[in-house]
Amino acid sequence: MSDPLILGIETSCDETGVAVIEGLEVRSSVLASQTDIHARFGGVVPEVAARAHVEAIRPLMHQAMSQAGVYSDQIDAVAATRGPGLVGALMVGFAFGKSLAWSLGKPFFGIDHMEGHLFAPRLEFEDYQPPAIVLLASGGHCQIVHVKDWGDYETLGATIDDAAGEAFDKLARFMGLGYPGGPAIDAESEDGDPDAVAFPRALADRPYDFSFSGLKTAVVTYLEKARDAGKLPPRADVAASIQEAIVDVLVDKTFNAVDSTGAQVVAGGGGVLANRRLRERLSEEADRRGVSLYVPSPSLCTDNGAMVAAVGVERLSTGATPDALDTDVDPAMRLGA
Amino acid sequence: MKVLAIETATPASSVALGENGALTALNVRVDRRGHVGFLIPAIDFCFERTGWDPSDIDIVMVDYGPGPYTGIRAGMATAQAFAAALGVPLVGVSSLTVQAVRAATGHRRIWSVVDMRRGQVAVAPYRPLPGGVAPDGDAEVVGPDEFRARLDAEAVDSLVVGDWQALPESIWSGLHRVRMGRPRYPSADVICEIAAIQSGREDFGQPSEVRPQYMREPDVDIKWETFRTETW
Ligand SMILES: [Zn+2]
Repeated sequence: MSDPLILGIETSCDETGVAVIEGLEVRSSVLASQTDIHARFGGVVPEVAARAHVEAIRPLMHQAMSQAGVYSDQIDAVAATRGPGLVGALMVGFAFGKSLAWSLGKPFFGIDHMEGHLFAPRLEFEDYQPPAIVLLASGGHCQIVHVKDWGDYETLGATIDDAAGEAFDKLARFMGLGYPGGPAIDAESEDGDPDAVAFPRALADRPYDFSFSGLKTAVVTYLEKARDAGKLPPRADVAASIQEAIVDVLVDKTFNAVDSTGAQVVAGGGGVLANRRLRERLSEEADRRGVSLYVPSPSLCTDNGAMVAAVGVERLSTGATPDALDTDVDPAMRLGA
Repeated sequence: MKVLAIETATPASSVALGENGALTALNVRVDRRGHVGFLIPAIDFCFERTGWDPSDIDIVMVDYGPGPYTGIRAGMATAQAFAAALGVPLVGVSSLTVQAVRAATGHRRIWSVVDMRRGQVAVAPYRPLPGGVAPDGDAEVVGPDEFRARLDAEAVDSLVVGDWQALPESIWSGLHRVRMGRPRYPSADVICEIAAIQSGREDFGQPSEVRPQYMREPDVDIKWETFRTETW
């Protein structure tokens, strides 16, 4: 039997993603990003996001099918993100996916967005296999997951306040660096000195948990004082120091988990994993310990339909029961629960 | 001509199948939430009931609003996917029109009302015609006082249909030429009727023209004070 063709749909936040994959080979993966729309507001506005998804989804599906050279009746199953995410946004892709699957008489799988991120590296690295420690960090989520096997996940730690991407957004906004904050701070940091300002690293006593609200307060206080004293350091230095503080914590906690579980595999997913400094530091630490690191290309780290389809492939190939006709989205879905 | 009609613009969700104006299956539920959970089982039920196959459908029709947003989007996404999968046209119809078509029984001018929450309603006037209605002015979103002013300005007998119960009772006092009537919500069986009427005129648009009609800008809470651009 040839590899199954799966259509994957992702609409949990501010990207509409549709992809066609065959086995684990990406035939097409298209995206309608709403970043420009939300930039006006300095963050994702749920109602604006939901409206944009409903405009984008049908044309994107056609684009994904035509790029893949696939007719709708050739699809073997449809997978769409069920949660977690913004309820109005999730509903669009989920309703679209369910209807598509039903009309074609094919199985439908509602997918945990986080599991999608855990699977994304499989689309680029054939030898990526559990057990693994995976860092998931974006504007909406920040957690460390112990992947014991496919389908067997334990969340070791998570953020107790802001997600890492949210911290980047808020700080970039405060510094007048625009939205989204991660790429803006990454770019501004290029010529900056990461050791210029020693910002705090929070929750040293909790090995796998994150907190970024203290850093936010520290940066604001520091900048206000420096400005009042007329001794403002170059913006690039402040940006690099903020980035270093966030990256340090993400890397430390991830490798705490690697050390304590003895995992030989580390991976990452979520928009923050597109950060160059974070990728560099993860790779240094992985090399130092001699463990394998699988962080996919930035386009597979950020939200996309292919990662959702990848979980669909697993469901189909393991003979999982498709979702019942009456399933609904689950905005508070939790990995492994 | 076989039609699949999807209606989720208000707390009442419904799905219907019809052929040349005759209703062949209908599934209705009134529930403010859970449109996504309802739709596919309802569609499945209707097809089971008629023995039709999805590929038998010639046209998909969907209510594109106005109405509370999430329901409209659930219906739109479901209708778009069905039409795309089967390669058939998708046609949109207004929830206000669906209610007015159902109410058309006599000589009264019809005001169709949909609850938009937060003290506002979407309203539109329709003129009765033999066997139907015609729009008789623009749809707009108004508060109770504005709607009352519209009705006060009328010099004809009128009938208010739709979710007028969402408005405070006090606005009806002293309106002698105004009657209140049904339906309270739009329904998919009426959409099948509308499909039959429209097919005679062949005025179906393109799927790309079918967009939700929100009639209100999204709520956006921007904390401008947190924007700092003058630090450096
Ligand atoms: Zn994500």
